Amino acid sequence: MTFALIVTASFISALVISVFGARLRATLQGWLLALVMVMLFALALGQLPAVGDQGMTVFSVAWVPSLGLNLTLYADGLALLFVLLVTGIGVAVMLYGGYYFAHEDKAEAARFLALMMAFSGSMLALVLAGNVFTLFIAWEATSIISFLLIGFKGKKDESARAGASQALVITAGGGLALLVGLLLVSAATGSSEFNQILTSGDLLREHPWYTGIAILLMLGAFSKSAQFPLHFWLPGAMAAPTPASSFLHSATMVKAGIYLLARFSPVLGDTSLWVTALVGVGLTTLAIGALFALVQRDLKAALAYSTISQLGALVALIGLPEAHGIKAAMLGIIAHALYKCALFLVAGGVDHATGTRLIERLGGLWQRMGGFAAVSALACLSMAGVPPLLGFVAKETLLEAMIEQPILLAITVISAALTVAMALILFWDVFMGTLRDAHIREHFHANPRLLVGGPGILAAASLIMGIGIEPLLSPPVSAAAGKPISLYLLPAEVNLALLLSIGALAGGAVIFATRQTWRSWTVTPFISGERVYRALLGLVEKAGDMVLATQNGKIRSYLRVILATVAVLLLLIIPGEISSLNRLTFSVSGASDVLKGLLLLMALSAALASVLFRQHLLAVLALGVSGYTIGGIYLLEPAPDVALVQFLVETLATVLLILVLVRTSEKERKQAMERIWHQSRPGLFRDIAISVTIGLGVTVFALAAVSHRPTPNPISNWYLANALPEVGVNDVVGSIITDFRGMDTIIEIAVFGMAALGVLSVLTRQSPGRVVRVNLFRRMAPVEEVSAPVETAKEVQRANVLNPRDNPIMRTVASLVPPFAIMLALAQIFYGGSAPGDGFTAGVISGLAIALSYVVYGYEETKRRLRWLHPAPLIGVGLTLALANAIFPLLLGESFLAHLSVYGVSFAGIHLASTTVFEIAIWLTVLGGVSTIMDSLSHPEEVETL
Amino acid sequence: MNTLFAIATGVMFAIGVFQVLRRDLIKAAMGFNILFTAVNLLLLAVGAFNGTSAAYVDDANQIAGQPSDPLVQALLLTAVVISFGSYAVLLGFLAVTSRRFQTVDGDEMRRLSG
Repeated sequence: MTFALIVTASFISALVISVFGARLRATLQGWLLALVMVMLFALALGQLPAVGDQGMTVFSVAWVPSLGLNLTLYADGLALLFVLLVTGIGVAVMLYGGYYFAHEDKAEAARFLALMMAFSGSMLALVLAGNVFTLFIAWEATSIISFLLIGFKGKKDESARAGASQALVITAGGGLALLVGLLLVSAATGSSEFNQILTSGDLLREHPWYTGIAILLMLGAFSKSAQFPLHFWLPGAMAAPTPASSFLHSATMVKAGIYLLARFSPVLGDTSLWVTALVGVGLTTLAIGALFALVQRDLKAALAYSTISQLGALVALIGLPEAHGIKAAMLGIIAHALYKCALFLVAGGVDHATGTRLIERLGGLWQRMGGFAAVSALACLSMAGVPPLLGFVAKETLLEAMIEQPILLAITVISAALTVAMALILFWDVFMGTLRDAHIREHFHANPRLLVGGPGILAAASLIMGIGIEPLLSPPVSAAAGKPISLYLLPAEVNLALLLSIGALAGGAVIFATRQTWRSWTVTPFISGERVYRALLGLVEKAGDMVLATQNGKIRSYLRVILATVAVLLLLIIPGEISSLNRLTFSVSGASDVLKGLLLLMALSAALASVLFRQHLLAVLALGVSGYTIGGIYLLEPAPDVALVQFLVETLATVLLILVLVRTSEKERKQAMERIWHQSRPGLFRDIAISVTIGLGVTVFALAAVSHRPTPNPISNWYLANALPEVGVNDVVGSIITDFRGMDTIIEIAVFGMAALGVLSVLTRQSPGRVVRVNLFRRMAPVEEVSAPVETAKEVQRANVLNPRDNPIMRTVASLVPPFAIMLALAQIFYGGSAPGDGFTAGVISGLAIALSYVVYGYEETKRRLRWLHPAPLIGVGLTLALANAIFPLLLGESFLAHLSVYGVSFAGIHLASTTVFEIAIWLTVLGGVSTIMDSLSHPEEVETL
Repeated sequence: MNTLFAIATGVMFAIGVFQVLRRDLIKAAMGFNILFTAVNLLLLAVGAFNGTSAAYVDDANQIAGQPSDPLVQALLLTAVVISFGSYAVLLGFLAVTSRRFQTVDGDEMRRLSG
């Protein structure tokens, strides 16, 4: 429970700071968070005695139980060591962070510190993760927060953005490898929980997937811990504000890879693959990092390469067989975190005070920054490995661990010498000597006095832990290593490791002394991961260009590609289907069939005419004729209900199309129409080919369908037999719509209502830059009785198409139509049970009457005349009524949408039942929908933006 | 006869596809209407064909002759309504885009261009 508290407390304080932090001074924010860290550190320290040799699951909540996914925390010595590290370093960094941002915007400080706190929460969750999923999520969270912190100044700083995305690509890419590796681990061991995975013994080592698992996990760890050749993101990450660099990119996050390797080494380690890969990559990184660090001109870049170098040493130590290196690794983690974090914070202070991080411009700062000089001295001594500092012990144990392999030892000693030289440069060239740069001397900018506090704590810790190493560090390191480890500052007798250590110091001094000669060398990396990364990014960009080249932006071309693909597919299928068409019969019987055939011919001709007409209005009318003819075919079927709907809908569709014609400028329309007739010959043939092929495919499909039609249809027969007894209506189609398939109808009218609201929302007036607010209850303000005609071009043009407004007969007719339409609609609703027509046709009929008003009176007058009509809310009323009607039977113990004839009144041939209520609901919805569409399309105002 | 309907469906479809491919968006919108009609025609040809009387029962729950398939009619009703709804949305978009781009020529609307 304590551990769960530690993790959640970090996140909660991150939240609190992000919400309230902007009101507090930055330094106060820093102090508060440092206090939180102190408490977390104390809590974790209190758990030290309780953590036994065996790790245990300390907290578990079911997350997705059906997938066996739990949020679990697992604590052992290793996890605890990292918790202490994160919270301990966190104290110094938070304190420093507050002062670092003391002169900047409070909100910026809060944003930064909240991110840092969220990071420490994720990092704590990572090291305390009890199963692979928790681990992975926390792992990715640290990558993302690292991205946000590197890009913290991204608004102004291009390199911050580049560095952030580079770091994210590398670490998240590694994260993907890790995910696959972890999934394989849980598949192989049959559990995702660490308490089972870690006790699985040799199972993984002997598993056929071992190589894959090991390589994937290594990839994850190497990317996170900046191992060669994936190291290059870390120098790029130095664009982050310095407190973040020190916390994430030196002390904690980059150690997550080390943690991962250490976590899995009991079950994966000790094989030749593991040892070779880790030691090989680790030592390469160690040497290359140490070498590159020396030639950096930027203080932070030098620190970054030096960090890479140390991470390499740690990876190599974890890889050593039989856990030889575990003691040195644990000590190395602590020692490095303390001195490197302190040095970063010092670098931040130097940068803050002088405005530069270039080593050659610095020097002699001890006069002005005495505190920082002292801190830097201690940290550099620890880095160089001078007793009695902790770094010395770390280096001794490192050398001891490598002592049996001469080659490894040689690389380690040389790197140690290089590190000594680096430490000397970091201290001497920055703080000693004289301040050469006049500009810095004049523009020196004193730091807040307590800025040095954070690094001071860390440097002091390096010293105290070095001197008091036995009582202070033995317990946590023993717990982490899982075996009792005795630590001492100085060996009892002079041994080889000590001699080599002294040799490294001497060698480092020599390298330092000759720096004038080699500092100017440029070391070109013989192989650079960064170059590969750039090349890959270039490939991605090229691929993007290639894709873009295919985008000509013409909607028609996209459509043509899609349709041509369909056509090709149809061509592949058609030949196989033709053979199955042998059951086709061509029989024409009776006058009805002849009539149908003629109507069919007419419908097709009208449709073709709508293609060929060169005037929009004529084409629209031809289309209407085609639709009406289809209605005639339905009537001959005989399907009177469908025919009625078809006639009405076709009318409405024609009106809509004409309204669109009115809204668009005639010039533009004519232009577009003319261009159709200037289509190139090949283009025309191509379109015809596509159309004909698709038409052919559909024909074959239709022929196959009609020749395989099952007859007679048992479902339909059931409906025919039960419509009257069950629903009490003669109209079988109506009974299906309103009762048997009532749910479908509810959905159908809902869709219709949505479509209407969709039209409303795309056509709603809005000013550019303003939030779109669809006003459902749009009502016109009273307008003067006759508004002066505005002779704009648009008005004139509208008048050309239809100008019935001044026609008294039309006006009279239009005012008479709505009442009659509503009467007709009601008749359709109440007598729909035994005659064609239903709620839908009623809705369209009354909607058409409204449409007529819009056409005759125009928008504003219609609004004035039909003030009672609120189109969009009407949709809601209708749908609510439909749902209420459907739910009502539930109250009586019946099923949803059950047929009720309890309203049982019956007069003048009207039978009131639940279906009648449903019909009314459909009517209201459709009326609302149609009027909404009309209202939107006939709105006179300019539609400004999409 | 239904063979004829099936063929007519294909022809209607071809006309619709051709119309949809016009650069004048108003014509393209009309093409969609033709396609809707073609699909409905197909539904009719495959389903309800061969009826001799409307699907109305008399008060004794009897029907004279072969009733036209009521299920397909119900499906057709829904299809007609929904296709009208989508047609309305299509026209709404057409009205907005033509105003926005000051043209009804689809080829002039090149916002997607790479």
